[in-house]
Amino acid sequence: MASTSKDAERKLLTRREFLGISGTAAAGIAVATAVAGGVIGYFAGQTSAPAAGPAKTFTKTITAAGPTKTITAARGLKAGYIYVGPVGDYGWTHAHDEGRKWADSHVPGWKSTYVESVPEAEASGAIESLISQGAELVITTSFGYMDATADAAAKHPDKYFVHISGYKSGAAGNATQNMSAAFAEFYQLYYLCGLAAGAVTKTGIMGYVAAYPTPEVIRHINAFALGANYSYRKRTGKDIKAYVVWLFSWFNPGKTRQAAMSLVEERNADVLAFTEDSPTTLEVAEEYTTKKGRKVWSFSHYSDMRKYGPHAHLTGQIVNWGPIYRDFYRMVETDSWETVDIWGRIGDFVPYRWRKPEDKSTCCKPEGVVYPAPVNSVVPSEWTTLIKQRYEDMKELIFEPFSLEGNLGEPIRDQDGKVRIDGKIVPRADHDMLWSMNWFVDYVKSPIPK
Amino acid sequence: MVTRWVSVAVSIGAVLLAVFVTAMLFWAIGRDPIEAYAVIVHVFVDPGLLGESMARGVPIVLATLGLIVAFRMNFWNIGAEGQIYLGMFAATGVVLWGAASHMLPPALMMPTMVVTAFSVGGIWGLIPAFLRAKLQVNEVLTTLMMNYIAMLFVDYLVYGPWKDPHGHGFPLTIPFPDYALIPLIPGTTITSGVIACVVVAILVYYVLSRTKLGYEIRVVGESASAARYAGISYMQVALLGMLISAGLAGLGGLSIVSGIIGRLRPRASPGYGYTAIIVAFLSELNPWIAVPAGLIFGGLVTAGEALQAALRIPFSGIQVFQALIFLFVITGEFLKRYSLEVSWGRR
Repeated sequence: MASTSKDAERKLLTRREFLGISGTAAAGIAVATAVAGGVIGYFAGQTSAPAAGPAKTFTKTITAAGPTKTITAARGLKAGYIYVGPVGDYGWTHAHDEGRKWADSHVPGWKSTYVESVPEAEASGAIESLISQGAELVITTSFGYMDATADAAAKHPDKYFVHISGYKSGAAGNATQNMSAAFAEFYQLYYLCGLAAGAVTKTGIMGYVAAYPTPEVIRHINAFALGANYSYRKRTGKDIKAYVVWLFSWFNPGKTRQAAMSLVEERNADVLAFTEDSPTTLEVAEEYTTKKGRKVWSFSHYSDMRKYGPHAHLTGQIVNWGPIYRDFYRMVETDSWETVDIWGRIGDFVPYRWRKPEDKSTCCKPEGVVYPAPVNSVVPSEWTTLIKQRYEDMKELIFEPFSLEGNLGEPIRDQDGKVRIDGKIVPRADHDMLWSMNWFVDYVKSPIPK
Repeated sequence: MVTRWVSVAVSIGAVLLAVFVTAMLFWAIGRDPIEAYAVIVHVFVDPGLLGESMARGVPIVLATLGLIVAFRMNFWNIGAEGQIYLGMFAATGVVLWGAASHMLPPALMMPTMVVTAFSVGGIWGLIPAFLRAKLQVNEVLTTLMMNYIAMLFVDYLVYGPWKDPHGHGFPLTIPFPDYALIPLIPGTTITSGVIACVVVAILVYYVLSRTKLGYEIRVVGESASAARYAGISYMQVALLGMLISAGLAGLGGLSIVSGIIGRLRPRASPGYGYTAIIVAFLSELNPWIAVPAGLIFGGLVTAGEALQAALRIPFSGIQVFQALIFLFVITGEFLKRYSLEVSWGRR
């Protein structure tokens, strides 16, 4: 009896004991860190003394802006960016950071800075930080920053604001005139990816690893399914089946891996499309293809990801935010600001917008804001040709995926069998239908979570 | 125990040491430490940045004050984050109901939100308290795991029934009307939530040190068995203590939706409930210290962003910097409790 009550006593850690233990641990770590910090500091001072050079000039440009400005900078303007993830994510944030560098290098006299990994609830503080650092133009690159950006725009009428992937702007009439909205839209590219997928699939089953059930992701899934069904039905006369697994996260490699594997194992999918900010889905496809003897295809997303799945890479959707940012830089620099609500699609920000014949197509090369990744040579040439043709047609908006033409001449139905695009009253999807899409085409067999 | 002067000296020494080590870190990655510290000071001077810092500090302080009550009774409430989410849910529910039914006069909106957020947060906290008191279920596990339930519950609402019908399908509720927002202190950029923090700190201090419940909480915290011999009902103390603890975290949730975001959204709290655990220990479970400590932490979060913007210190560097400051301060607190004795060979 005595021993059991003692044991019971022992189980309850008192506050003092807890502090004692955690304090000891803390002290140990603190001492270790202090030593490590000292050592690092010492060696940094010893070995990389020359490296301290450029850093010093960098600080000088901040404290003494005048004398270092030898470039043609009209006003020495500064842009500030806010990112939702780390710049090294190789997904959404990485793409924005590449766009930032592109814009900086294309508009002389501009400098930029950024704040990464900003939780959506903390965007207003990051915006204030950038403004206090002298940013004239603040670009916030996640949907969740919309309200904070609009509030800041109202608070700072002398600064300019661009919000990515939202619906508030002076142009739309729900924000002040110094705020614009911009977006690089992928649904046309997902349709092209679908064409490639339907051209190679053996099982006729598509898997989609999806972040959140937002209208953006839903229209991407639909566009992909429409494209896949187009080429698969032409090949085999049968419809594809598409299954979706939701992550409820924009960046979660662990969960993505599970989702991608379950689509292959449980649904027998042999093409995996995705909306997630890492190359994980492509890596899973590569593992199946090279190690498990099961051919599975996947795509690039935001950046060219071929190196993550050289044997599984089919094509993909790639973005260059740079031209969008460059135009905003120029507007601010030349005092020609106009509030806009931009959707960068195929053919936008392209100097020569006219469509080209297939043999001269610029498809799958860096062009404009959004373009497909190189198409794997395994895709039969008739389909590669169709991909090029539709890419060129979409430059002039002659072809629209959400139309009868995009669906083998048939009306587009949702999962309940309701006709959404009939070719007569609704000839093709318009901005509002795409922007607030909340239904799946009937080729998608998974429900939209409610 | 050490004298007050030594205690103050240890605290200052810990902070100075932290400043020194982070300075070396900044220097090691090629940044000017002096300039880095100028940026941090600037956060507390610039009106815009100070306002942001205080707005972030308020939910941290409220959750910390709640945790102090729980920790004082030796109840390891790791669930402030979830209780914050329940508070956000309750406050938003009142706003949506008021907007839909027009049955709530604007003047009564905020008081109703406060009462509801406190109650709903508190009731959420009763579950682990009951399980612990009745079935000896480890509260660390229950409170921690309930955080995910709360977060996913809010996800469900904003993706489903509470989605703004005019929001283009995005997972957001309607924006709160002005009368459901926490106003700024007139003439400043600082949220009036700071005043609420001080009032709550006074109340927590009063309850802990001047009431029977506070006495019982402290006795339970020192020794549960001694409390039992003294005829104190553990069940009663645990339930009341957690009602207060989780209710205050719920108020923290209210201060996020009404003071920072202006509507409910998924993942609206960036971990303030976990931050509060650190702040509770930093302030030695003392409600007076919790208020400045929480507000300063809000400033450090903002300073992290300012440092990125000004000096391009990467986010991971900012995390190391923030962690080091707290590590040193906690170590200082630890050292105060013990005297150092050097012995050679066997004792």
